[in-house]
Amino acid sequence: MIAAVIQFFEQHPLLWTFVKAVVLASFTLMIPLAVIWIERKVAGFIQSRLGPLHVGPHGTLQTVADALKLLLKEDIVPDGADKRFFYIAPYIAFISTVLSFMVLPFAPGWVALEMNVAVLFVIGVSLFNVVSILMAGWSSNNKYSLLGGLRAVAQLLSYEIPMVLSVLAVVFYTGSLSLTEIVEYQVKHGWNIWHPPIMIAALIYFICALAEINRTPFDLPEAESELVSGFNTEYSGMRFAFFFASEFANNFFITAFAAALFFGGWDGPILPPIVWTFLKVFVMIFVFMWVRWTPPRLRIDQILRFAWQLLVPVSLVNLLFAIALGVK
Amino acid sequence: MTYFIDGLATLFFGMLVTWRNLWRPKVTVRYPYQKRPVPPRYRGLFYLKWNEEKQRLNCVGCTLCAQACPTDVISMVKLGKGTNASVSEFTMDLGRCMFCNLCVEACPFDAIYMGPVYELASERRDACLFRITDLAQGGEEAVRKNIETIQRLMAEEEKAKPAATHPAGGHAE
Amino acid sequence: MPVSPEKQSTLSTVEILSQGMVINVGPQHPSTHGVLRLILTLDGEQILHCEPVIGYLHRGLEKMMERRPYRHNIPFTDRLDYLAALSNNLGICQCIERLGGVEVPERAKYIRVLLMELQRIASHLVFLGTFGTDLGATTMFLYAFRERELVLDLLEECTGARLTYNWIRVGGVPDDLPDGFAEKVLAFVKVFRQRLKEYDQLLTRNRIFRSRTQNIGVLPKDLALAYGTSGPVLRASGVAYDIRKVDPYEVYDRVEFDVPVFDRGDVWARYLVRMEEMHQSLRIIEQVLRDMPDGPVQTKLPKIFKPPAGIAYSRVESPRGELSFMMVSDGSPNPVRVHIRAPSFVNLSVLPCLLEGAKVADLVAILGSIDVVLGEIDR
Repeated sequence: MIAAVIQFFEQHPLLWTFVKAVVLASFTLMIPLAVIWIERKVAGFIQSRLGPLHVGPHGTLQTVADALKLLLKEDIVPDGADKRFFYIAPYIAFISTVLSFMVLPFAPGWVALEMNVAVLFVIGVSLFNVVSILMAGWSSNNKYSLLGGLRAVAQLLSYEIPMVLSVLAVVFYTGSLSLTEIVEYQVKHGWNIWHPPIMIAALIYFICALAEINRTPFDLPEAESELVSGFNTEYSGMRFAFFFASEFANNFFITAFAAALFFGGWDGPILPPIVWTFLKVFVMIFVFMWVRWTPPRLRIDQILRFAWQLLVPVSLVNLLFAIALGVK
Repeated sequence: MTYFIDGLATLFFGMLVTWRNLWRPKVTVRYPYQKRPVPPRYRGLFYLKWNEEKQRLNCVGCTLCAQACPTDVISMVKLGKGTNASVSEFTMDLGRCMFCNLCVEACPFDAIYMGPVYELASERRDACLFRITDLAQGGEEAVRKNIETIQRLMAEEEKAKPAATHPAGGHAE
Repeated sequence: MPVSPEKQSTLSTVEILSQGMVINVGPQHPSTHGVLRLILTLDGEQILHCEPVIGYLHRGLEKMMERRPYRHNIPFTDRLDYLAALSNNLGICQCIERLGGVEVPERAKYIRVLLMELQRIASHLVFLGTFGTDLGATTMFLYAFRERELVLDLLEECTGARLTYNWIRVGGVPDDLPDGFAEKVLAFVKVFRQRLKEYDQLLTRNRIFRSRTQNIGVLPKDLALAYGTSGPVLRASGVAYDIRKVDPYEVYDRVEFDVPVFDRGDVWARYLVRMEEMHQSLRIIEQVLRDMPDGPVQTKLPKIFKPPAGIAYSRVESPRGELSFMMVSDGSPNPVRVHIRAPSFVNLSVLPCLLEGAKVADLVAILGSIDVVLGEIDR
């Protein structure tokens, strides 16, 4: 039976790709349900609260209920909005996230698309996010959204650079642009994180990741207290849900990417590889949340100065070290 | 650079605080299912004190509370005369009430008090109007008994009246 | 943005560039602490001009007070500065007492001071929480409100209400403290000292917090004096002016406490003044509970209180600054004229000066550090 199915898909590769795409897209939609629930629980516990409690055991189905509510809501488009851009912006954000999930190896062989330039691909498609945010901020015809969108673009572009440079350090160290090969290298030679230049690269990556997914102390594109949630102020219903989902799926992705680059991906004893991947990802997501609920947020000029005056030079020097130590 | 290191260090110290609080007992009261105890002085819904011994409400209808009220919440209809008097109607429009305690302090007969009931929200405007049957301790039963007692006292007074007033009337003549 | 298509074609590039973007903050905005409206003219992220618009919460309280007997006015003052209702109660009661020459029993004075300082802590905790959440430290908000809940529980036990206490009367306080109140307060003081240390660790020492507050919204000493600011805003600009020391009322001349003063005049200094004031309030509470004598708590007054004709002025140090009441009597049961000097109103008037040239993100920090309550501004 299984053999027959495999044979069928081998004969129709296009169908097989379609199945993979559907599975991946639904996975990208499902992941936020879990991440948002964890986020709300962790936030609640840190703040002496209990978090969601009533829908499902310990509120696990709260996010599902919220998503259903958003589905049923009226789709409001503000007067004077640039309709075309306003409509497609959330989907661009979502698609860019789905595309980055495409090359992510969860376990040996568990990757939707084996690509030999996966790292480059991820960096490329993640930049689509910036475009969608700018589109959303501009097309809403709301000054708060515009300010939020402009801040977001300035911030995301600035932090993309040190992030890419620190990822490049890993690439030079392992000598491959393929995520699967990077993980396999680590399975053989130990995790990348234990090497000094990569350690610094990981720290820089961590800081930039916080900025990339708009978390405190870098959450000012959607600073609730000043910009009333910034670029997505005017969005409601399902379009807002797509922004929200892509943000949290991005959160998952950026940690999974870090796990593959620095923490050996699926590598680990006893437990099956897929469990190890998820374990590492959720530990990192917890740390992200823990950071998020501690400090206040920075100001836009401070954030940009921090990126350009400190992170970029440090990551450049670090990259040179990595090249010197790593290239075989 | 020092800025960066200082920032990381102080962030770490701050994270220690949030970590400690992560494991502390939570302070949430799950309100509709779980309620806080209300202290004895709590200023909630008013009640008119029922005097079990005399089988009547303490209120004598003197309107001191109505005069003490800054927002004219209280209106009442007096029943009977003198110390045997009480009220047949006692209406409070809590839509205007500030729960300021001034009426309770003004009452010399310990008749009006503020109780522990605080869930007074309603979707209808007329639900803000609390009549004597809602306010009296013991509800409608108490109001009925109160009127009976006062009427009995009045009748007794009426009966005692001719005997008492005759000599006085004689003097006046 | 709001330029119509026809007009757009007639505007030259120079004209468009020289126009600031006008943005309307409030009256419904999460960080204006009520219904304050600010019309900002922006150049990018820079604020060129700020125009506060107030009056969205105007209820005509001063006029209402002229139509009512003196004692009826006390609960109205709860609605002025709703975060420090007891300070307002004390302000108006002191004024009426001066007008009528009413003596307050000794124990009542101590109870008043105790309640005032508990109220000050509760009010500063609201400042701390909202200030934290304005700057993005959402957790601070919940910690501060968690501790404020402890203060509110104490005040609820004593007064019966949680926000609009109305627990000061002309000639004293309505009732004595409940049984075992002193022990509960001391237990709170012990817990709260530890929590203050935690706040320092979480927020005060945090580098990001310091970089967001230091050298932002600097209010020079002469400007602060010229505008007539008071309270923590003035003390952060280097003027040691506290009504509790300058013109002591109740028993403030008998307790020992320091008035925190900082010279920097920025948001950071205003924050530090309030943090330090909470420590001092704890000190005052301990002394008051130690020294409190026994005795009556209220002077008996006639049912219809008619002070002699005259004019009275009294001032108290509310958590926001110098709160004063002026009342004119002509011998009738109602005051002829009531005036309230609301500290928030005066403190808010420096906001346009502080905001000029600041960043949009600093707007919330500066506004938060002035700590205004709109109920008091609009009256």
